[in-house]
Amino acid sequence: MSDSNRFNQMLRWYPPYWRSKYGEGMAALLEDTYGTGRVPMHVRLSLVKSGSLERAREVGFIGSTVSPLERQRAGSLLVLCGWGAFMFAGALFAKFTDNWGASQLGQGDRVLVMYLYRVVQWTGAAGVMIVFGAAIVALPSLIRLLRSGGWVHVRRSILRAMCAGAIVVVTTAALVTWAYHLTVIERNGGLGVYGFAVAVWSLTVSVAVVIVTSAAVSTVSRLELPRRTTRWLSTMAVVLTSFMFVILAGMLTWWSIESVREPAFLRNAIGNGLFYTSSEFPLTLVIASLLMSVGLCAAVGGTIRVIRARRDDGVYV
Amino acid sequence: MAKRTTSPVVGLERNNEPAVLILTSLASGEKHGYALSKDIESFAGVVLGPGTLYGAIARLEERGLIEPTPSDDRRQPYRITAGGRAALSTALEQMRQLAEVGTSRLGARVATSGSSLGRVTPGYST
Repeated sequence: MSDSNRFNQMLRWYPPYWRSKYGEGMAALLEDTYGTGRVPMHVRLSLVKSGSLERAREVGFIGSTVSPLERQRAGSLLVLCGWGAFMFAGALFAKFTDNWGASQLGQGDRVLVMYLYRVVQWTGAAGVMIVFGAAIVALPSLIRLLRSGGWVHVRRSILRAMCAGAIVVVTTAALVTWAYHLTVIERNGGLGVYGFAVAVWSLTVSVAVVIVTSAAVSTVSRLELPRRTTRWLSTMAVVLTSFMFVILAGMLTWWSIESVREPAFLRNAIGNGLFYTSSEFPLTLVIASLLMSVGLCAAVGGTIRVIRARRDDGVYV
Repeated sequence: MAKRTTSPVVGLERNNEPAVLILTSLASGEKHGYALSKDIESFAGVVLGPGTLYGAIARLEERGLIEPTPSDDRRQPYRITAGGRAALSTALEQMRQLAEVGTSRLGARVATSGSSLGRVTPGYST
């Protein structure tokens, strides 16, 4: 690889518009500084960081160079990214509590944890409805984009997302069919091959969530959204963030009560198809809560961006 | 639609801010990336990484404080604009005032600690 190509390769983290404007100058700077020598790792990492920040700035996740409406859209997309993490974490939680029934609890505790569990379930379902609602609100803009020849720009990401979705549907169907032929013990750690298959399926779902979320972000970024649509979407994003807060709080409260009142459920790996557990801190729940925390942080960041952008736009939420 | 009012010196408050260093370097004439990097290293002792340098160049260009000059070379030179000179001047004035206050207070503190030891330094007050 020639030196010029080598330095251009290092700039691949930057968005295309940036490379077309500053790429030559930056490559020349790297060439003048390091010549044929090795570029230090900290400089490479700095380029990764700067390039990623420029990409985030291009979408409107950070910075104030784009209009308030663009920042509202970017904030909403950040909330959607956070929701992506919640989707996967929610699937882990659902799998973990597959066979949970609070059977060993007294009446008072039973009512409370059941209530918390239902809150998590129904708030999750409401969150899914909001995301579908947002998709419907954005649909006319998507149709306009496709009619104006925008399909070539979004084709690759949409097709990739559809493939990922199809793979998840097929693997889920196969796993569920297999699970029906297994005993409760085999489904919950007794059969190693099934446990491995569940782990692979989880990985597939997580990759699919990332691909679908990226496709949504990339597509929505290209839409010409009317002001009213953007406001609707950003309002939905704020509501979705509050739902995410409720879900995480509900799950953590459920977990803490279970660990005190019904630790056997958490310890004995009953209901845990992914990993054996030996304490009140099963790995599945730890991963789920960490993912939810990261998702909530992204969503809160997005919501703050939405609220600030709406204030700059003269709308007070 | 409410408009964000951005002062030309926003982001130029600190003397080690890349934007201030770049404007200071360009105040003596147009330079490309490598020349900027070396000049800043020589007068400020600060080595700006390529990502930091070009990130600051992009922000300054967006704000109209610097502009690219025509060049056939891939090494794109930049020059400071009139707005950039004004912003740098304001930022440097603010820094000068801060330096004066700091120096004055530091002197007063030295004098106070001196007087507590029984030595009186005339001309300083707390």
